[in-house]
Amino acid sequence: MQDEPRIYVESEDQPERMLLETRIVKDDGYQKQQDTLIVWTEGSGTDMALSFQEAEGCAVIWYFVQQVQQQLLSLPDDGLSDDALDNISTSFTLNPPELSNLDEIEANIRQASLTQGGREAMAKFLIREEYLLKLIPLVEMAEDLESLPDLHRLCNIMKALILMNDNTIIEHLVTDEIIIGVVGALEYDPDFPTHKANHRQYLSDESRYKEVVEIKDQNIKRKIRQTWRLQYLKDVVLARILDDPTFGVLNSLIFFNQVDIVQHLQNNTPFLKELFAIFGADNKDTKRKEQAVHFLQQCAAIAKTLQMQARANLLNNFIAHGLFAVIAFAVKHPSASMRTTGIDILVALLDHDPNMMRGYMLNAVHEKKIPLTDTLIDLLHAETDLGVKNQLADAIKILLDPLPPSSDPMGNRQNSEFMTKLSRPPHMTQAQQQNEQFAQDNFDRSCRKLFAPLKELESRDSMQNFSYQEVSLFSYLVEILTFFIRQHSIRSRPFILSENLAPRVAQLLLVSQKPLKLTALKFFRTAITLQDQFYAAQVIKSGAFDAILGIVIDTMPRDNLLNSACLELFEFIRKETIKPIIIHLGETYRQKLQEITYVDTFESLLMRYEQLTSEHPAPEHTLFSQDDATPPMTRSNVSGRWQGLPEMDANEEDYFNTSDDDEDDQDEGPERESRKDVSERMQWHRRRIKAEIMNGGASPLSKPLVDYPDDDEDEVMDIKAASTPQTPLTPDSGRETSPPEARTVAERKLQPSPDIKSAVQSDLQQPPERVTEKRRRQEDDDDDELGKLSSGPKRRNSVSSTSSLASQASLRRKKGFLRSKQAGEHTLVSSHVDTENHVEGRKPRKIAISLSNITNKDDNPPTDQKVLNKHAVATEEEG
Amino acid sequence: MINVCCRAIAQLRACRPIPEPQVRELCYKAREILIEEGNVVSVHAPVTICGDIHGQFHDLMELFRVGGDVPDTNYLFMGDFVDRGFYSLESFLLLLCLKVRYPDRITLIRGNHESRQITTVYGFYDECIRKYGSANVWRYCCEVFDYLALGALVLGATTDVPPAASDNENTQSTLPPEDEEVESEVLNANGDILSKTLRRRFAGLSMMSHHTNSSRISPAPDVDVPSPPDHPASSLPLQSSPSSQSLFTPPTSTTGAVLCVHGGLSPLIETVDKIRLIDRKQEVPHEGAMCDLLWSDPDEIEGWGLSPRGAGFLFGADIVRHFNHNNDLSLVARAHQLVMEGYKEMFDKTIVTVWSAPNYCYRCGNVAAILELGEDGSNGGCIARANGDQGRREPVGTDGSEGGSGVLWNLASPGRRYRVFEAAPQGTRGMPAKKPVGEYFL
Repeated sequence: MQDEPRIYVESEDQPERMLLETRIVKDDGYQKQQDTLIVWTEGSGTDMALSFQEAEGCAVIWYFVQQVQQQLLSLPDDGLSDDALDNISTSFTLNPPELSNLDEIEANIRQASLTQGGREAMAKFLIREEYLLKLIPLVEMAEDLESLPDLHRLCNIMKALILMNDNTIIEHLVTDEIIIGVVGALEYDPDFPTHKANHRQYLSDESRYKEVVEIKDQNIKRKIRQTWRLQYLKDVVLARILDDPTFGVLNSLIFFNQVDIVQHLQNNTPFLKELFAIFGADNKDTKRKEQAVHFLQQCAAIAKTLQMQARANLLNNFIAHGLFAVIAFAVKHPSASMRTTGIDILVALLDHDPNMMRGYMLNAVHEKKIPLTDTLIDLLHAETDLGVKNQLADAIKILLDPLPPSSDPMGNRQNSEFMTKLSRPPHMTQAQQQNEQFAQDNFDRSCRKLFAPLKELESRDSMQNFSYQEVSLFSYLVEILTFFIRQHSIRSRPFILSENLAPRVAQLLLVSQKPLKLTALKFFRTAITLQDQFYAAQVIKSGAFDAILGIVIDTMPRDNLLNSACLELFEFIRKETIKPIIIHLGETYRQKLQEITYVDTFESLLMRYEQLTSEHPAPEHTLFSQDDATPPMTRSNVSGRWQGLPEMDANEEDYFNTSDDDEDDQDEGPERESRKDVSERMQWHRRRIKAEIMNGGASPLSKPLVDYPDDDEDEVMDIKAASTPQTPLTPDSGRETSPPEARTVAERKLQPSPDIKSAVQSDLQQPPERVTEKRRRQEDDDDDELGKLSSGPKRRNSVSSTSSLASQASLRRKKGFLRSKQAGEHTLVSSHVDTENHVEGRKPRKIAISLSNITNKDDNPPTDQKVLNKHAVATEEEG
Repeated sequence: MINVCCRAIAQLRACRPIPEPQVRELCYKAREILIEEGNVVSVHAPVTICGDIHGQFHDLMELFRVGGDVPDTNYLFMGDFVDRGFYSLESFLLLLCLKVRYPDRITLIRGNHESRQITTVYGFYDECIRKYGSANVWRYCCEVFDYLALGALVLGATTDVPPAASDNENTQSTLPPEDEEVESEVLNANGDILSKTLRRRFAGLSMMSHHTNSSRISPAPDVDVPSPPDHPASSLPLQSSPSSQSLFTPPTSTTGAVLCVHGGLSPLIETVDKIRLIDRKQEVPHEGAMCDLLWSDPDEIEGWGLSPRGAGFLFGADIVRHFNHNNDLSLVARAHQLVMEGYKEMFDKTIVTVWSAPNYCYRCGNVAAILELGEDGSNGGCIARANGDQGRREPVGTDGSEGGSGVLWNLASPGRRYRVFEAAPQGTRGMPAKKPVGEYFL
């Protein structure tokens, strides 16, 4: 056959070198995993994987494979046909099990497990013959005979059966008649010959199942039991040996069972009535109430995994039956663990649809009832358990977050304000204005209530006598405040102003508890980052710099966290030339600044102050300086994109300033290299890039080391398309590494499971920690990614770190220390939002690697990239 | 507090989690200690440097058995205490307890897994939920993560291989013959010497007392950078500036400092002092200097390269050479990558990867290692060190780019003893497994 469909992989470095050539066969063994991986098994039994740098390239090849397979299927059978497979399947048999032939059975099972056809045939046979029922009595028999070798063989057989990874078999294994025998055999793991587990005892303990309200449907009850067993298998019995596919099968079996169970329950009105009646006033059985709360928490946890619509149905159903009353019961419960559980349920609701929850809250305000937020704020002020307090702070933050993302998955909390503003028609209708006014009023009112303890600091005499509880309360309050000014700088202004909160936060810089000092410092750092006149004025008026300089002087020249955080703040001010702050510092603290000489930051600050106040400031400084006339609105939008990254900017600039030569800037002072030089150099590099594109001098397959977000989007795309070798800003960094666009690596079945491969590999070369997928440049992707991000685990993430993860993820700029950056131009406004598997993809990325590296460790150090190359690190240029 | 701490240590050593209020108290205490540490902690030799632990509690106990117990041995752990293994909680809390109890005896720095985002995916979060029923303990721990230092600088290490831990005397009982200065040696868990490498002219003839793979110690092949001579006697290129004269004749027992970070170097950090300007109390960012220190990897390339991990960078031998030179370092010690032999020296011994999780993920079949650096007794165990802003020498090759043309003269590397060990024997542990859910409603 001349025109058989094949996959070719050519070497990127040496185009003439063919790294892989393989025929696409009619086989269902091809799988697309994640978005960038195609795996299959060669006829020779070798497992292959093609890993792509880009999802699109993967999609193209995958489409091709599918097309070919469809064609092949429509052709008359040749060679190994389905019939042939069927023949094999009917021909697979095992002898009736006896202790004497376990060896043979184990070998047969292993043999059959090698191929997909063999596995299917074996599965059919095992089910048809009810073979396991015959096998299981041997466990007790071997135990009676105290025959450890037989028990080990039985264990191996069970493991092999599970790892053959067949849904029907696994479901069969956890049925009532069989499960105990199965885990019984698995108690004797030959890897741990001196140990015997006690799985049977654990799984036979019926008391572990708490039936709060009787479930009458026997089918559902059975599903509940089986799901529990599957989880036990996954977490305990098999935890050590599970490979990725089997792990996935177990998870999906669990998931589908849970969907069935939850669906059944929520359609079961009598059941729900009975469940929520437990919380009726006449029920005095508190134990049962608590169990019912736990029951609902489990439902809510399962709901998180459901699809949007199913989840909405379930939760709305619960709410209609009185879920809020349950939450109210739980959050006021004397036991902290009960309160935690209650807030967990609340957080599940907030995660599901914050808008809906805010809607309930606003309705309550309309109806002059006490809204949930008020209750939570009271609890936060009074709560003594720090864990609960933390959760409360989080819940309040979300509930008050004034311009929420729509339930539309495109919405993203971090970008919500921005996006809403974009999409909102320029002229609001009257009703909208009223709504807006109402939302603003409610926000102000709630914030006044929330931040009341902060406001009361004004009359506090001493900042040295804070209790443990107070420290944690103020930490959370300042964190929430920081969050608000970062995300909603406009809306936050009125109450910041009316409550005069900035000076109160400045007071907290004086407490003796350093973590709280740090939190307060972060507030000012964030306020300055906004580059907003209002906030700059607030910072200046608050007198914070008195305290901050005090901290510097107290801690210097000691090298500790507080000191570093302060230095970072001043470095930021200097690097970004935050004009009002620099002038304030220069005018008010000149003397103090001059005295701090252990680092050159302050000297440079003063220098910048001189420049700013001199009559004719150098023109390039205006580029850097904040334009006070810029409407703060855009500033706040912009700020979202780069919060959390300031030190990068600072250091990056330093890098530009210094890396072209080996002189130490500290020898000659920071002004050694003027801005102009930097900018000129950038221009020069840009021109070179352009020239190289024109000349087409670059290898078309290579990929630039760094993307250059430029002011000209087309140009960026051009660069990417043409892939010039990147123009080094420093000679050191100029080496092109040409990461291959796709890799093909042969996998061999040397180790028990592919999971191991990924694990081994993890730190070898392309680790599962590969959580970010960078340099995805298509703007189109952004929306999708935002959507995914918004469903990410924001709550937990935003807990306490001011740089909340989700926000970082969505706001992330292009990586690129070599980025062409015009001096003075804020590249912060980069429109690229990188995709983040950090949040979006929960699963480790699996990347092909040749296991022979590992086994041949003597001459192939596993970290050695070259070994991989030898095995065909290949490239596949898509598109 | 000390009493409470001792009790907690005892309980954790038995691999039993401590109650939630105690965790809270412990984390609070730990924060107070960690907040006083710089982004780069100064640590004085002798010290034992350890790599990733990844929740393999029983192997951590094995590590202490092989390397000596706290506080008898000083330890420096280079992050990645949690995730993957099934006992992240016990492992991290034990290390934290030891930190609170013996703050000067144990140093913990942050790894890329000490992050909210990573732990929610790779196991620590789930483990906390399993063991405590709520995420509170996870939150407390993550709060502590934000306070962990980003790196450490080991000062005053001797060029001699440190005296074996079994010798309780401070004098080195096994001084090698004059011309056979041992630069590094590899010991197994029982303290038997597996292999040695010698300094200077003997460097090429590794002497193996056992039949072990010689490639273990020899440096990874440098692509195109000629190895700088290892001894002052070798000829030096003429362009060396007079100011580097002192380097020609370094006192035999004086070494440069050893920088320890979890991942590696960053293009944004030319000097160790620059690390000081980071506000580290935050979730590990996705880019920038802090991210790079925790995520980068050395690789056989020149200059910087994209990291396949999607965070941090790859960096080549020339980068390490320049960085070490500019910062008066003789070695960078890092973790972050699984190495089957437990450790791997690269780039002409300017950087070493130390990995301390044997049989990683309970199935990788690798051995683990720890790295012991001895104390230099000759001048008080401390050398004057500049972070780059004073007394710095110009690199010999004037444009840092051409790693090949200019040869940098790096300070004598410290004597290194690697102790290699395997996973804890089964007798000391059960079958590793996650904790099952205690009761269920659905």
